[in-house]
Amino acid sequence: MPMSQKSLHLRLGIAASLFALFLVLFAIPTFVFAPSNIGNIILSPKFWPYVLAGLTGIIGLSLLANAVTAAEDTPFEDEETVHPEGSAPWMRLGALAVIMVLVMFGLPRLGMVWTAMLAFAACAFLFRTRHPVAALVCAVIVPLLLYAFFAHVAGVAIPQGNFVRLP
Amino acid sequence: MKLRTLGSVLALGVGLMAGAAMAEYPERPINMIIPYGAGGATDISARTIAEPLGTAVGKALVMANVTGAGGATGSVAVQNAKADGYTMLFARVGSHSVNPAMKATLPYTLDDFRFVTVYEINPVACAVRPDSGINSMDDLVAKVNEGGVSYSSSGVGSLLHLAGAMVLKEFGVADPLGQATHIPQQGGGAAATAVLNGTATFICTNSSALASFVANEQLKPLMVTTAEPVVGFDAPTANDLGKPSLNQLVGWTGIAGPDGLPDDVADKWGEWMAAATADEAFLTSMQQRGSVIELMDPAAANAFILEQYNTFKALVDELGMRIEG
Amino acid sequence: MSLLDSLSAGLALVGNVEAFLMLFIGLVVGVVAGAIPGLSATMAVALTLPFTFSMTPINAILLLLGVYKGGIFGGSIPAILIKTPGTPASSATILDGHPMAERGEAGRALGMALYASCTADAVSNLALILFAGWLASFALNFGPPEFFALILFSLTIIAGVSGESLLRGALSALAGLLLATIGLDLVYGTNRFTLGDPNMMGGLNFIAVLIGLFAIPEIIAMAWNPVAHLGRTRALGKSRCTLADYLGSFKSIIRGSMIGVFLGSIPGIGAAPSAFLSYSEARRTSKNKDNFGKGEIEGVAASEAGNNGVAGATLIPLLALGVPGDVITAIIIGAFMVHGLQPGPMMFILNVDIIYGLFIGLIVSSVFLLFVGSVAIRGFRFVADVPKRILMPGVLVLCIYGVFAVNNNIFDVGVMFVMGWVGYIMMRNRIPAAPFLIAFILGPLLEDNFRQSMLMSGSDPSILFRGPITWFFWLLTTITVFAITRSTLRKRVPLS
Repeated sequence: MPMSQKSLHLRLGIAASLFALFLVLFAIPTFVFAPSNIGNIILSPKFWPYVLAGLTGIIGLSLLANAVTAAEDTPFEDEETVHPEGSAPWMRLGALAVIMVLVMFGLPRLGMVWTAMLAFAACAFLFRTRHPVAALVCAVIVPLLLYAFFAHVAGVAIPQGNFVRLP
Repeated sequence: MKLRTLGSVLALGVGLMAGAAMAEYPERPINMIIPYGAGGATDISARTIAEPLGTAVGKALVMANVTGAGGATGSVAVQNAKADGYTMLFARVGSHSVNPAMKATLPYTLDDFRFVTVYEINPVACAVRPDSGINSMDDLVAKVNEGGVSYSSSGVGSLLHLAGAMVLKEFGVADPLGQATHIPQQGGGAAATAVLNGTATFICTNSSALASFVANEQLKPLMVTTAEPVVGFDAPTANDLGKPSLNQLVGWTGIAGPDGLPDDVADKWGEWMAAATADEAFLTSMQQRGSVIELMDPAAANAFILEQYNTFKALVDELGMRIEG
Repeated sequence: MSLLDSLSAGLALVGNVEAFLMLFIGLVVGVVAGAIPGLSATMAVALTLPFTFSMTPINAILLLLGVYKGGIFGGSIPAILIKTPGTPASSATILDGHPMAERGEAGRALGMALYASCTADAVSNLALILFAGWLASFALNFGPPEFFALILFSLTIIAGVSGESLLRGALSALAGLLLATIGLDLVYGTNRFTLGDPNMMGGLNFIAVLIGLFAIPEIIAMAWNPVAHLGRTRALGKSRCTLADYLGSFKSIIRGSMIGVFLGSIPGIGAAPSAFLSYSEARRTSKNKDNFGKGEIEGVAASEAGNNGVAGATLIPLLALGVPGDVITAIIIGAFMVHGLQPGPMMFILNVDIIYGLFIGLIVSSVFLLFVGSVAIRGFRFVADVPKRILMPGVLVLCIYGVFAVNNNIFDVGVMFVMGWVGYIMMRNRIPAAPFLIAFILGPLLEDNFRQSMLMSGSDPSILFRGPITWFFWLLTTITVFAITRSTLRKRVPLS
């Protein structure tokens, strides 16, 4: 279904209101710590988060009000309507998320250079590049060049990993 | 000159790769973690010693600033590193004696580290604005008893935070936290500015951070905490004022590894530091900034830090400054 | 000593090839470093510092200033070409610079960025030379209550960068404000939303959030539809910034420079808010208001003028008071001290030759920047011609390296990825990212200064109105809010 301002604001309004409730009822009392001996409430570490949570609630309700009172329901012009590929895009998003998780896993173990090479190659093929050979060459060269620059010119301690160490 | 500069650029950049691979420690570059931001006292001290130290070590020292949470983020990085001597920390008074004394929720304790040296002592000075009408510590204490006095710091759990309270306590203010207001700022530069623009009444911090303001007569020093006078600070020492216990209140920089650092590694560091701190260029540039170079071996360093920690801990408990949660 | 004597003393100090060479090298290093995301101007200056220890003071400081100024301009190159700001200060440049590059006008956008930067740089240097003493003593009047009022006013920028819906802009800003509360509390040092993780105690790294919010969503969008960009012109073509472009934006450039000078001379604000403020002022007064955010060249000009205007002006508190305005000038103060110089009022008496030497060097730096910048643009333009499906993985790898390098912490890479998905969800829901970023920068400043004011006054709110400066900003805020409300209502698009 094409997205319109009305449906978008309805969705955002509900999300923002619920999030504000979540903050006020659960997140702030649980995760924000305040010493017991504070003289004035406005100095408490919890004061500002509560103000922000309140404002989020107000914006959420405004979005809802805006959605409910909006008369016409015209879809956004530049919105894509139906994706021609069916579920393939969702698969690719999932794959990219998996790549990112693997990168986080690989960085301390494999080292940044090798992880980056794999990530580069994986992404290039995920995006179905028209130049697979060039992509592979870049996948090897770009992380190496960046390593040479960051480690030896900028003096950054690029993570090396447990297996193959670069000079 | 140009060529030499370029040469040093190359040498530092490419690293001191020339040293042949030896089987013994160190066989590769050592990561040196600085838990504070670029340009701060710790950073400048660390980068100044890096040059003679790198020569002594014979391998590159890779300096890495890991900032955040008053030095805690960088300290935790070293705490969790392998105790193989390839990840070392520039520890500082804030991260390794004030913070552990004040914060109940700190993710590390002093026991998680093994100190290999303390090489620099920074005297602490207290200062006010020249037009504040405060000319001595007695004036300041009298003003505190009237009320409305505040002091700035670079944040909760910093040396400055504790120093303000400790100095007032020593000079007979019964409840320093209640009678004087602590106004934390984001960083040491902002803390000094807060006194300059009248946000806070006084500041107690490392003399090097105040030196230029004192030289420019923008701030007036009231005292220094060392037994010896500090060059450029026309103010009495703590001993002159009869408060020798304030000698404990000094800043320092040292080097630590994770707990479990092997003895031979610690010994190696002892040798390197002896060579590095003897370097003439290092000495001059550190002394120019008001530091006292005082090399301690691993045992002395541990004892020194523990003593300061205990002093601070006792004060924190007495004043109820401990941060829970 | 008369002005002429001082000038000639300064000239004697910098009147040699070496001093200018250092300035030049500094600019080159700065532009290149600024153009690499993650290796921001701050880091470039910090990395250069150790090399200056063995130089003469004037050469050392000129080198660092060159890196600083080069870095601030250099950041706009990746901001325009790959939507990844090289330094935080160039995030406003993305708003219009990147759409222009998408349209095949990268050359025009980069040219305008350079000309605006150089102009603002020159204005800023002039302000430093002419008004340093006056502006510095003015800046000392800024205590926490004045800051609070100024930052509250700056938050009205959000209306200017919200795009099609003010409500969604406000939602985005609130998300930014909430995210900025993560970390240790300023006044009591307690944990806020840190979940017990030491990496969170320092708060989320600004650069990681910034890159995550702008660059990563592009990569995710590419996964959603790898062929969306086909058929659109992206190649650089012959597009150039013409004299007419420059003159058309001249008013915005000058206004942006002034904003930069003003915010730069007050310690503690920095270049990013200045760029956004300049941008929103340009948008507010422009004839092409609706084109802002879609690739309006005046937007690029205004943002770049805003951030480069800060560069010279941050030296005002540094030289006149010895107070660092931001992290970069804190490092530069370190360089002064290494050489036994103590910035402050006395320096104008004791080391007047160095002061005037610096002034001369600064004036020359604007000219050098023009030259170095135009070479750099030519060098980097090829990026626009790289096939996008190879470019994007490259951007991803570059971001991983860059974000790690900022704080040597792998955790920040994770923050970047998570913020990337947040940014992508916001993009799909037509929530603008710019208000998020502004709020993320200004939120902590607003809260800290509010609480510091309350500490000062013993929780008496009247301190927030304590003097003419606060009144001025409160008035300005009121007028702006009134104007925004009126124009929103007049458009009769109900609050949207």
